[in-house]
Amino acid sequence: MKLIIGGAYQGKLDYAKEHFGVEQVFTCSRELAELDFSKDAIYGLEDFVLACVRGGVEAKDYLMENQEKLADQVIICTDVSQGIVPMEKELRDMREMTGRAMVWLAKEADRVVRVFCGLGQEIKGKQ
Amino acid sequence: MNWFVSGGCKNGKSYFAQEQAKKMAVEKSAPLYYLATMIPADGEDQARIRRHVREREGWGFMTIEQGRDICGALEKADPTGVFLLDSVTALLSNEMFSASGQVDQAAPERVRAGLLEFAERTGNTIFVSDFIYSDALQYDQLTEAYRKGLADCDRALAQVCGQVAEVCYGNRYFFK
Repeated sequence: MKLIIGGAYQGKLDYAKEHFGVEQVFTCSRELAELDFSKDAIYGLEDFVLACVRGGVEAKDYLMENQEKLADQVIICTDVSQGIVPMEKELRDMREMTGRAMVWLAKEADRVVRVFCGLGQEIKGKQ
Repeated sequence: MNWFVSGGCKNGKSYFAQEQAKKMAVEKSAPLYYLATMIPADGEDQARIRRHVREREGWGFMTIEQGRDICGALEKADPTGVFLLDSVTALLSNEMFSASGQVDQAAPERVRAGLLEFAERTGNTIFVSDFIYSDALQYDQLTEAYRKGLADCDRALAQVCGQVAEVCYGNRYFFK
């Protein structure tokens, strides 16, 4: 599994297409606490996490249950960890649940790339 | 060589950029320009500008006030000089939002093109921007349009600049 993280609008999906040969993409929805593992990449994991918050599911548990299906996936998630604590409880929970899921994903991933202004920085794996 | 520098607020970006600009100007024996982008709206801005001016004293910068139309600065300066543009964030904000409350949706594309032209015509500019993309808040449409517009400017500059650095509490990470 490969994990691509970075701030909003940084070009994470473009990076996945260019460097990991991603063609088919499953885009997460804030309304659906499920993932489709049949494509090359799962994009916008933070939206899936928000759906999990709304559905009372722990995103990390869902991912762990589907560990085998993640093996050949590129997971793309916006880093939502560095700003002000949101006033809205749902977003506060999403922010923390995303963190828990990402720590586990980063541990499992062969490679973790952080995209900054369109440029990638390998933070795990190939140096 | 052009540089692109970004990072969080109050992390030492401006200081790092000033050092780098000064070093480049000394190496090339070239004039050193500071492109001041803030258009003061109130007393708080005036105080911030006075603090920045004091901080730059003794560095040898010639200050050019250029809150909009960045390539307009080249009519007042030697394009072979070294330029410090601080910041892309303020420049886009000035072009996109006016005091009367008008919003120019075409500003991000125009500013992006202007910045690329400036980079190409000078070749020795340090562009400073702000990394405002890693929080969990969901903003209104206008704020999101601004964030996306700034990200488009940042990505375009990061692509063409020879050096790209992120400053994090005084530490520097190089992406090129």
